[in-house]
Amino acid sequence: MASSKLIRADGVSKHFGTGHTQVRAVDGVSLKIGYGELVLIMGPSGSGKTTLLSMLGGLLRPTQGRIEVAGTEITVMKEAELPDVRARLVGFVFQSFNLMEALTVEENILFPAQLIPGGIAAARPRARELIERLNLRERRDSLPKTLSGGEKQRVAIARALINEPPLILADEPTGNLDSRTGQEVMMILFDITRDENRSVVLVTHDPRVEEIADRILWLEDGKLRDRKSEDHSWVRDPVCGMRIDEWTAVHTWERSDSKYVFCSARCKERFVEAPDQYVNA
Amino acid sequence: MMRWTLKSLGTQIASTLASAGGVAGAFLFVLFLEAVFLGESKQIVAYIEHMEPDIWVMQHGVSNMHMASSFVWDWKLDAVVEMDGVEKVTSILYVNTMVRAGDRDWFTYVVGLVEGDKRAGPWAMKSGSASPGPGEIVIPALFAESSGAGLGSSVSVADKKFTVVGLSLGTFSMANSVAFVSFGDLVNILSAGGTVSYGLVDLEPGSDAAAMARRIEAEVEKVSALPHPEFVRNDFNMAMRMGVDVVAFMRVIGSALAVAIIAFTALVQVSRRRRELAIAKALGVTNRSIYFSVVLQTVLITTAGYAVALALALGVAPMISLFVPEVTLLVSTGSLLRMGAVALVVAVIAAMVPAYMVNQVDPLTAFQG
Ligand SMILES: Nc1ncnc2c1ncn2[C@@H]1O[C@H](COP(=O)(O)OP(=O)(O)OP(=O)(O)O)[C@@H](O)[C@H]1O
Ligand SMILES: [Mg+2]
Repeated sequence: MASSKLIRADGVSKHFGTGHTQVRAVDGVSLKIGYGELVLIMGPSGSGKTTLLSMLGGLLRPTQGRIEVAGTEITVMKEAELPDVRARLVGFVFQSFNLMEALTVEENILFPAQLIPGGIAAARPRARELIERLNLRERRDSLPKTLSGGEKQRVAIARALINEPPLILADEPTGNLDSRTGQEVMMILFDITRDENRSVVLVTHDPRVEEIADRILWLEDGKLRDRKSEDHSWVRDPVCGMRIDEWTAVHTWERSDSKYVFCSARCKERFVEAPDQYVNA
Repeated sequence: MMRWTLKSLGTQIASTLASAGGVAGAFLFVLFLEAVFLGESKQIVAYIEHMEPDIWVMQHGVSNMHMASSFVWDWKLDAVVEMDGVEKVTSILYVNTMVRAGDRDWFTYVVGLVEGDKRAGPWAMKSGSASPGPGEIVIPALFAESSGAGLGSSVSVADKKFTVVGLSLGTFSMANSVAFVSFGDLVNILSAGGTVSYGLVDLEPGSDAAAMARRIEAEVEKVSALPHPEFVRNDFNMAMRMGVDVVAFMRVIGSALAVAIIAFTALVQVSRRRRELAIAKALGVTNRSIYFSVVLQTVLITTAGYAVALALALGVAPMISLFVPEVTLLVSTGSLLRMGAVALVVAVIAAMVPAYMVNQVDPLTAFQG
C-alpha cells in the first residue's frame, strides 16, 4: 500500500538514560513529510535536532513511537535490516563531510553504490553525471585531503545522491564552511534535489535558507513547536554584516555586557582575534 | 569494500609492514627451530642410515642405537654367520660418550671397528685413513676445524688418548657426532671382552630381510634382530622424542606471538579507522561487511608475514648451512605446510579481537563535528 507521504512519524520519543539523569532528547514528535519537500529543522543547541534526524534515517531506534519511510515501518525492523534501508532510502550529508580518506573523489561518491543491487559498475554513469553537475571534474581522482571544504561537501552531496534515495538528511552541512561557500553548497543541494524531486530534511542555523524552505519545524526541548517567522530577533554579524537570528545562533561571544552573534565559526574566530577592529568600525 | 580495505591498509603502510614483519619473525623463529631440530635429528641417524645393512642384530630388548647400550656375546653373531642366506656379519662395538678435542667436548657415538674391515667405517673422508689402528681415531672434519685439531693431534675418549689419523665427512652434528676407533681399544674402554654391540647383517641377494630377522630371533637366543628400515625409524623417533616437547612448546609460543602481533595491529588499525567505520555503518554498510574488511586485513597481513617467512626459510636456510656448517638445517615441506595452516588459524583468532570493537563502533558518531 503506497503512502502519499515519504515520512510519517507518530509520537516519536527518544530518552537517554533513566531516573534523575534521564534526558528526553526527543519527546513525542509527530510529523509528515511529502515527496519532494524541503523541510528545515531549527532550534536551539541540544533541542534534539540530530537525535530526530538519526531516528528518521534509521540510525537510532526511538524509545517510543513509530516511523514510516517510503511506506516501510522502520521502527519494527530488525537491527540487521536497517543498514539496507539506509543504503537504499536515505542519503546522509554530515557537518564534518566524513569522506573516506584513502579513497578518491570518484571512489567516495561510488562507495554507497556497492550496497545496492547493481553495485558500483551500474552506478558509474550516475557518478559521472553528479561529478559534472557538482563541478568536480578536475577533482575526480583527488584524495579528500587535497580538497577545500566546499569541494569536500560537494563530494559528500554526490555520495548522498548516488543511490537515488527519495530522502536526503543533512545535519548542519554548512557548519564547517564559511558563509559564502556554505551558501553555494546549499544552493547546489537544493538545485539537484528539486530537479530530481527528492525530499530534504535539513538541520541548519542559517536563516537565509528559511526563505526557500517549504516548511520549518521548530524543535525545543525535544518537542515540536509552532513558530511564526516573525518571531525572529535579528542581529548583524559584526564581521560579515549578515543578518542572523539571535535565537537560533550557535556562534556567539560575550564581552563586557555585549553579546555578539556570528554566522560561522570563521567569522567568530576573526572577531575574537581583533574585536575592536569590528566594533568601532 | 575490498578497495576501501586495501587502500586504507595502504595509508597505514608503516604499521602494516611492521606487523607483517613481526609475524614473519614469529613464524621464522618456529620454522628455524623446526629446521634445526629436524636437521639435527636427521644427522643423528646419519651413521646407521649410511651403513644400510639388511638387518641389525643387538642385545635382546634393544631396538635402536641413539642413547642405547647393547652387548651381545660374539659367539651368537658367529651363529648368525652360519645361517643360510647370510652373506656377511660385521661386528661393531659402540658407546655414547664425550670426546675431548682441544678444550671442547663433543657428545659422540664412538664406534669400534674390526681392524681392516671397512664395512662399518666412515663413508666419506676429507683426509687421512678410514680405518683406525690401536691408539688411533677418525673424527669428523668439522669437529677438527672447530677445535683446532688436525691429523696427528691428540684427542681423548674417556680419559684415554688417541691420535687423529683420519677426518671424516658427514659425521658431524651438534647433538651427536660419530668417531671411529679400533675394536680392541673400545674393548678396553668398555671392559667388554668377548662381546659386540651390534651386528650388521648383509644377506645374499634376493633374501627376505623381515623373514630372516624373525629366523635369527628364533634360532639365536636372546638377541633382537631388526630389518634396517625399522631400525632407522626407531632411532629417528628416539632422536625426535628428545626434542619434540621443546619444539612443540616453541611452536605454541611462536604462534601465540604471531596472534598477539596481528591482533594488536588489527586493534590499532580498527581504532584508527573507528571514525570511518562509523561513517560506513551510517551509510548502510552492515556489521558483517565491516567485520569481513577487518578479517581481510588480518589475513593479508598474516599471508604477507607467512610469505616473507617462507622466502627467507627457503632462500636463507641453505646459506646458513654454508656459513655455519655446524648447524644442520632441514626445512621440510611438512613444516612449511603446518606453518601455513597455523597462519590461517592465527589470522582468524587474531581477527576475533577487533570484531568485538567493530560491533561497538557507533554510527551516530558520524554526526559529531
Ligand atoms: N547518546 C546520547 N546519550 C545521552 N544523551 C544524549 C545522547 N545523544 C544526545 N543526547 C542528549 O540529547 C539532547 C539532544 O541532543 P542533540 O544532539 O539531538 O541536539 P541538537 O539539537 O542536535 O544540538 P546541536 O544543535 O548542538 O547539534 C542533548 O541534551 C544531548 O546531550
Ligand atoms: Mg546536532
